[in-house]
Amino acid sequence: MTPRRRISQWSRRAGLCLGAAVMVLWSLAPIYWSFLTSITPPGGLVSSGLRLWPEAATTEHFAKLFGATSVSQGNEVQSVWPQFSAAFANSLITSGLATVVTVILAAFGAWAFVRLSFPGKNVIFIAVVATLAIPAYTVMIPLYRLMIAAGLIDTYAGVTLIYVSAFLPLALWLMRSVYQSMPLSLEEAAWLDGASKLRAFVQVVLPLAGPGLVACAILTFLSAWGQFMVPLVFSPTLATKPLTVLIPEFVTRNYVDYGLMNAAGMVAIVPPMILVLFLNRFLVQGLMAGAGK
Amino acid sequence: MMKRRQFLISASALGLAAAMPGASFAQGPLPVLLPPWVTLPKEMTDSYAGGTLDVQTLGWDEIRTRIVTSMVADTAPASVTEMDWSWVGQFGMAGWYDPLDDLLSDELKADLPTTSIFTYDGKLIGAPYNNDFRVMIYNKAHLAAAGVAAAPKTMDELLEAARAVKKAGVADHPIALPLSASEGAATAWYLLTKAFGGDLFDADFTPLFTDPASAGYQAMAFEVAALKEGLIDPAATSLKDVEVQELFKAGKASFDLAGWAGNLAVYTDPSKSGVAADAAAALMPNVSGVSRTFGLPGALGIPVNATDKDGAAAFILWMLEEKTMADNYRLLGNLPTRLSVLRSLNEEGRLAQGDVLIAQAELVEPLFAQGTPGWYPEFSGAVAAALNAAAKEQITVDEAMAQIAEAAAAAQE
Amino acid sequence: MAVLARFLPSREARLGLTLILPVALIMGGLVFLPLLATLIDSLFRIAPMKPGTPFVGLKNYADLMGDAKVTTAWVNTAAYVVMTVVIETVGGLAMALLLNAVTVGRRWLLAIMVLPWCLPPVVNAIIWMWIYNPAYGPLNGLLMTVGLIDGPQVWFNDRGTGLFLVSLVHAWRMMPLTAIILFAALQSIPAELYEAARLDGAGALKRLRQITLPLIAPGLTIALSQSTVFAVNLFDEAWVLNGVSMDTRSVIIQVYVTAFQNLKFSAGMALSVLAMVVSLAVSALYVLRVYRETRFE
Repeated sequence: MTPRRRISQWSRRAGLCLGAAVMVLWSLAPIYWSFLTSITPPGGLVSSGLRLWPEAATTEHFAKLFGATSVSQGNEVQSVWPQFSAAFANSLITSGLATVVTVILAAFGAWAFVRLSFPGKNVIFIAVVATLAIPAYTVMIPLYRLMIAAGLIDTYAGVTLIYVSAFLPLALWLMRSVYQSMPLSLEEAAWLDGASKLRAFVQVVLPLAGPGLVACAILTFLSAWGQFMVPLVFSPTLATKPLTVLIPEFVTRNYVDYGLMNAAGMVAIVPPMILVLFLNRFLVQGLMAGAGK
Repeated sequence: MMKRRQFLISASALGLAAAMPGASFAQGPLPVLLPPWVTLPKEMTDSYAGGTLDVQTLGWDEIRTRIVTSMVADTAPASVTEMDWSWVGQFGMAGWYDPLDDLLSDELKADLPTTSIFTYDGKLIGAPYNNDFRVMIYNKAHLAAAGVAAAPKTMDELLEAARAVKKAGVADHPIALPLSASEGAATAWYLLTKAFGGDLFDADFTPLFTDPASAGYQAMAFEVAALKEGLIDPAATSLKDVEVQELFKAGKASFDLAGWAGNLAVYTDPSKSGVAADAAAALMPNVSGVSRTFGLPGALGIPVNATDKDGAAAFILWMLEEKTMADNYRLLGNLPTRLSVLRSLNEEGRLAQGDVLIAQAELVEPLFAQGTPGWYPEFSGAVAAALNAAAKEQITVDEAMAQIAEAAAAAQE
Repeated sequence: MAVLARFLPSREARLGLTLILPVALIMGGLVFLPLLATLIDSLFRIAPMKPGTPFVGLKNYADLMGDAKVTTAWVNTAAYVVMTVVIETVGGLAMALLLNAVTVGRRWLLAIMVLPWCLPPVVNAIIWMWIYNPAYGPLNGLLMTVGLIDGPQVWFNDRGTGLFLVSLVHAWRMMPLTAIILFAALQSIPAELYEAARLDGAGALKRLRQITLPLIAPGLTIALSQSTVFAVNLFDEAWVLNGVSMDTRSVIIQVYVTAFQNLKFSAGMALSVLAMVVSLAVSALYVLRVYRETRFE
């Protein structure tokens, strides 16, 4: 290795480290602030100047989330754990279901849009993708009537269906671009071996579309995880109410429980983070790895 | 119109229902939609004899959106819902709620002075169960340190006291008032209008605040001048009421001028407030010798399309019972609306600053003598935006008043 | 028989239609049908506080044209779109390139990167409310500590600053979306292409312009379109940080205020339909532009 090459590699590495540091700081600084608030006692919140650690850290907000009982205004009161755990489970279930259904529909649908010819193909595709632009308020009230009529208010099925209809266009579009960038020769080889089109797709194309599918899964899960307007209207009770709708209830008439809300926020970022850590493996597998390269 | 819409909906609903066998609406417990601070504990719901309750709670800003969505879609959000004083005009005008005049006995109505706030077009559409009104809350220690002997009784005394506190260096910005473009800032201006001895509108809803000598004009001029003088924190132009309250709790402000009665319990709680020992209440200062304030209570109403109206009526009566109200205060901190219950709580020594609260509670008037009009939210939004712009000195007080009057006229069209 | 076969879909078409059917059913039933209902409603006067629902034609739309508040909201929204799309695209592309280049600890970087998007919106709003708080927020604290400002600033007193700060919060939250879309696109570029370019002596910037950007163009279009759509739909950030103030009121806030606060329902729906048309038009610009430049399909 020439010295010049070594220097350029060093500067490249330094640049990457700097870039990574900036990215981590950008993403984490506000979240660290939220964490600080979650461990600061209510009285210590308002203090001028910049503080990187509270004067007296407390776990009281987390205790209120997880404990059986907690102390408020000097009285022992019921903790929020029953509501919190139910909402947490609801968030997981609805986001999970929406992700699975969306990814499956997008995986097959987008392939059909790319590789198969059938009447109305382009019109349907453009129409579906165009729905991305519809503001939630535009369709909310007719959708509400419809869900009432179908008896799907406050059911996992109802919320999941709405999430799917909201996140499917982006997933379809993304998967279409993934399939389009894959050489047709891969599939053709399988057709020559006598496999049907569908079988060739499932056995040859789908495994290679991993990064695209995982990107869709992450996009859908996270979008569903942060949804607020849809469950606000369609999930009236704790039977399906998710965290995003429960957390604003920690604002009481005379008191905003910043500590508790931020503690809940800190817990709420854990599942998506675990999901991303887990799916990362599939996201970064080279698309063409080991095939036709 | 309805038919076409209904057809579209049922056509697709059929398809959905076919795809989703087994999904159906369960009829059973009484659905009740309440804000989070009325999450009735088991102790209370167990004592309810009228059947089982399905208590649904939602954050404050969200409840209204839910009710409006449901009602526009011709379904009841629940059999009983929360109703804020500020929604009365709209919901009354839209005909969304059943009259409750026959449900409440005359005796009960006499004990509930705030029923007038929930009367629309002569009909009572909400039963007030959760009390709140404005009262001045101040920091005793700050006043003592600045050599102010007693809580100010007039607006001039208030200014003097605030100046003294600032001069003594006890607090940099003694008066806590929100001036952001938010509802809390608008209601504070309404309160100050009453403090300056006037009202917003006359009986025909003609604006009374455009004349520089009027109370409303003076109230806003007072706010802008106090801000300029540094008596109000310059930050107030982007602070909401709850953020301003944080300043008071941290001991950075001496007067929560537009305080909420219900807030006293929080201010005097050492686990939530840094000034628990020093927070005290006083009657709203004024210019005429008579303290004035207005009420912002919460009520319960029955949507016209509710499924279980008998159950709903029984639940409302139960919520108004003396024992329920006392429990509601003891367990959840919600102030009773019945004067008799307030008095007995005070006699038991359970009401923080009870004497002042009861004295002020007896002076509570509605913001609008004719009942909250349907255009209130539109008007109030315009007030918030204009007040904020005047505080930021983007417009003069004169222009702000003209804008508000114009918005009021437009909203009434 | 042969004539009939021409009208019957082929095997391939049948497979295609079968795979599309669930997509079409869900989108048709849950999006197009409600949209149609709203479009129809927007031609009537639906205001619960007024009796009856007379047909008014395009009056709801015409009224919007003359409304000064609506105009201001459009100007604000245009500012949001420009600022957030630029910040998200530049930042998201930088993140994606970084993730693509890093080999050690990439999964953790990725996990950290998506965190802003995992926070429930209300918690996100609270965090930024505190950060920007002029009386006790850390942004003033930080800038005063490093000596950039002398005293605490009331950020939202200035309209331009307010619009920028709202855009920053929105971009902070939505940037991971752009980054993931672009990262997935980058992952599909064969390494040999870079190797070849490097051997030709192409510098890093040249490689970015000549290889990376054209190859991720479809992903870039998707990312640009979705960030535009989200920016037109901006609501929470401006609502929580600055309320109903005209300085930062977005079009969707105006929709909410009109329909849900003032109960002028069909007027609000008409505005929301216009918002949809505008985000479609802007997105179509990107799509057509990219389509024209990469006509290799």
